[in-house]
Amino acid sequence: MMTRKSRFASALAVTGLIGCIAPAALAAETITVASWGGSYQEAQSKAFFKPTADALGITIKEDTTNGLDDVRLQVTGNAVKWDLVELGADECARGTKEGLFEKLDYGLIDKSGIDPNLVHDDWIGITYYSVILIYNTDVFGKNGPKTWADFWNVEKFPGRRALGGAFATETLTVAAIADGVPLDKVYPLDIDRALKSVDKIRSHVDAWWTSGAQAMQLVKDGEVDMASIWNGRASTLKDQGGPVSYSYDQGVLTADCMVIPKGAKNKDAAMKALAMFLKPDIQANLPLYIANGPVNEKAFDTGKIPAGKIAGINSAPENVKKQVLLDPAFWGDHLVEAQEKFDNLIQQ
Amino acid sequence: MSIARSAPPINIRGIAKRFGSVPVLSDLDLDVASGEFLTLLGPSGSGKTTLLMILAGFVRANAGSIDIGGEEVITKPPHKRNIGMVFQNYALFPHMNVFHNIAFPLKQRRTSAAETAERVERVLDLVQLQGLADRRVDQLSGGQRQRVALARAIVFEPRIVLMDEPLSALDKGLREHMQIELRSLHRRLGMTTVYVTHDQREAITMSDRIAVMNKGRIEQLDQPETLYARPRTKFVAGFIGESNFIPVECRDGSVWYAGKKVHTASPSPPSGRHLLVVRPERVRLAVDAGLVADARPGANANILDATVRDIVYQGDSFICYANLADGQQIALRDYCRSDVLARLPVAGQPVRLRVDAEDAILVADET
Amino acid sequence: MSVRPAEFGSHGLNAGALRADARRESLGLLGLCSPGLALVGIIIVLPIGWLFWLSLFDESGQLSGANYARFVEQASYIRTFITTFEVAFLVTGLCGLIGYPLAYMLSQLPRRAASICLIFVVLPFWTSVLVRTYAWLVILQRKGLVNTWLIDLGLISQPLPLAHNFAGVIIGMTHIMLPFLVLPLYASMKTIDADYLRAAMNLGAPPTATFWQVFFPLSLPGLAAGVVIVFILCLGFFVTPALMGGGKVIMWAMRMEQTTSLYSNWGAGSALGVVLLAVTLGLLGLFRWLLGARAANVWGAR
Repeated sequence: MMTRKSRFASALAVTGLIGCIAPAALAAETITVASWGGSYQEAQSKAFFKPTADALGITIKEDTTNGLDDVRLQVTGNAVKWDLVELGADECARGTKEGLFEKLDYGLIDKSGIDPNLVHDDWIGITYYSVILIYNTDVFGKNGPKTWADFWNVEKFPGRRALGGAFATETLTVAAIADGVPLDKVYPLDIDRALKSVDKIRSHVDAWWTSGAQAMQLVKDGEVDMASIWNGRASTLKDQGGPVSYSYDQGVLTADCMVIPKGAKNKDAAMKALAMFLKPDIQANLPLYIANGPVNEKAFDTGKIPAGKIAGINSAPENVKKQVLLDPAFWGDHLVEAQEKFDNLIQQ
Repeated sequence: MSIARSAPPINIRGIAKRFGSVPVLSDLDLDVASGEFLTLLGPSGSGKTTLLMILAGFVRANAGSIDIGGEEVITKPPHKRNIGMVFQNYALFPHMNVFHNIAFPLKQRRTSAAETAERVERVLDLVQLQGLADRRVDQLSGGQRQRVALARAIVFEPRIVLMDEPLSALDKGLREHMQIELRSLHRRLGMTTVYVTHDQREAITMSDRIAVMNKGRIEQLDQPETLYARPRTKFVAGFIGESNFIPVECRDGSVWYAGKKVHTASPSPPSGRHLLVVRPERVRLAVDAGLVADARPGANANILDATVRDIVYQGDSFICYANLADGQQIALRDYCRSDVLARLPVAGQPVRLRVDAEDAILVADET
Repeated sequence: MSVRPAEFGSHGLNAGALRADARRESLGLLGLCSPGLALVGIIIVLPIGWLFWLSLFDESGQLSGANYARFVEQASYIRTFITTFEVAFLVTGLCGLIGYPLAYMLSQLPRRAASICLIFVVLPFWTSVLVRTYAWLVILQRKGLVNTWLIDLGLISQPLPLAHNFAGVIIGMTHIMLPFLVLPLYASMKTIDADYLRAAMNLGAPPTATFWQVFFPLSLPGLAAGVVIVFILCLGFFVTPALMGGGKVIMWAMRMEQTTSLYSNWGAGSALGVVLLAVTLGLLGLFRWLLGARAANVWGAR
């Protein structure tokens, strides 16, 4: 989830197109997969796309997407150029309502090992990312804010703060936890209560970040002392030796999903490829390249993932317990309304 | 409106100006008398405009003194010199109407609104632009703009007026009309005027005196008549009016051309090569069939044998181009009177030409 | 035989042929213009018309004024609207204050020195807005150059809030907009004949009066062009406020992006576009009218 929704970064073509990675197979079918670009997609490419292409004898071309909007434009404009697209689960839930996706063939796709919340008629989870709390150890030492309630406590933890601004679903979830909602009661989310919680903190927020890169930059430059951040970014910061600390406690575990846009030209091959991506054996490749977790928990049983790495993966069973799962079905109904209310609130 | 009562003289001493290493004016002296209309005449690059700019205070001289009515102004900023100026392109402010343009100098002098209105009215009368006060500048004809510029330059009753080729943008008929008008305006107001032009005819028409400038120096400063009749240098002779230049030899106090002694009006020159300046209209044609001019040589007349090369008819006059015996070209001009026309020679015809001694001027051969 | 003027025209020698020739010529000209006209029609008029059409329907596809009603009903829209104009006015004003003396200095320099200085003015154009904005972020943020220096010099004890807020947006945008004001202004100042200034001085105006009564009014068309360009660019600006504003300075364009991309509400987004367009055109008209009135005031009756 490195550049998920990094809207203007992608829009301004910071990330270029990544070309064809599979060697051209003779008379092979070709499908195009669009994901979020950046180091996330690089990892995905090595973990999912190449092994799948080799196994099926097809060519997988890659592209990058800015999200549901792109899919909607292609489908409603009758110009579908992608066969598989990765989106946020909340976007998938929304897209379903708009009828933008093809039905998935669960005769072909084995859904066992995947959270039923993430298995739907026309979309299915593919990977996990988490929204977690990060803080600067130069400022707080080891006693930084550990919970969202700490983050909201401006007296006990004075300092500059950043929260995700373009991602209401994540920030509202965090706000509910901060307000004292137990993790298992967060969903269905009381949006009004969450908004009130946001209202309490908003004047203390020094930056509302709109891309993963920005969140990372804010923390790295010391512009803020604590922030909500995606776990992939957080681990990158830590790996670079940044003075930061984070954990999965009270994290918001969120899934990305894959869909076949309605009217995709190579629907059958795309279905086969998607089935392949979701096999535990292929899923287990992902943590080898990036801290994002596989969506299929059977991946942990393959023995492919080194024992030492498991603790660092956000979707490892131990870590899942500490987190709340962002409920895509709930957001399918409330995404737009909540985002707009949230924006209206923070932009006042 | 009268300026004459206070029109001061201008005494310019030792003005020098270089642009980089290029000298534009070198050690120039000039005295302009009180109320005089003096013209700086010269080709472009002769320094006449630079001198005017230094007078107005727009260009800083490298050395020299400008004394206006007993007051040194060389270091005074332009807005304190109280000198009126008419620019070549008029420089009327395009964002103001005629009234505001003319009132501008009065506004700077904190003149009351009532007096401003009255004086603008008066000066508009003077330049015959009654009723145009509300016009925008771009609604005026060239001649009207010229008058507005003039009105603006004199409305504050400056002691001195400078004009930088003010008529060069007008067509010929209007230009000649304005020359006369400017002249009569000057006579009425009597301000000390320094006028710059490269048009020798304009200079002769308008000026009390003309300073002919060349390469940053004043070649000759005289009244128009003297300047025309007695040019002191080849440059002046060539720049003012048309001239024949005939190379001659001076020996023993006499002037010789093609083995013959030439009678001139000039005092005995030093020995060496000189140029004889003869105005074409002072050369007279002597035709065999009957004298237009007396062909007999005498103490006051030089007779030259020549062959007609071409005759150019110009309506009121004609020009006859002829070759002297040694191939030297000479031109003569005369009016197309019927008696002359009846005896006009044709190309190739040998003729005799007469130049009176008083019309033959000797100048140094500068080349 | 008496000929009426009308007949003279239509029955003169070759009159018909000459008229046909004139018609052919204008048709030819029209032909030459048509690619441009078609392009303008397809990429400007058509989309704007479509935008307007979209804005008239609510999310369920019903004809309604809901998309416009929200502007008055929701505080954040009004806030965004005010912010947008605050930023645009401030940036334009600052650009004017900084740009006018700069353009004046450039216009008074010798040609060669001026062209060297102009390169420095234009140089930022060759760098992407994104890069320049990030550069400002690095300079202005809490541990950026400015704050570090000021603290090291002992001038301040707490870092100044220069980035991720309104001030950062203004600083970043002013820098980016400055050339758009300086270039037309410089061009217009260069066309002011030095003789106007000489004339003013000659007529008794001291340098300050010369400047305010002659130079400044004559440079107004250039200033107006620059101000209009900057103002309009500001109204639709996105990158710098998005990066420098820390999510707290939301401008109209950002709101549009959110509306179409996050809420996927094209009708509401179109309405935002229509309102911005209308207000921009209105302001342009007002500006023209003010300038016109001013011009009439200067040129008109005493």
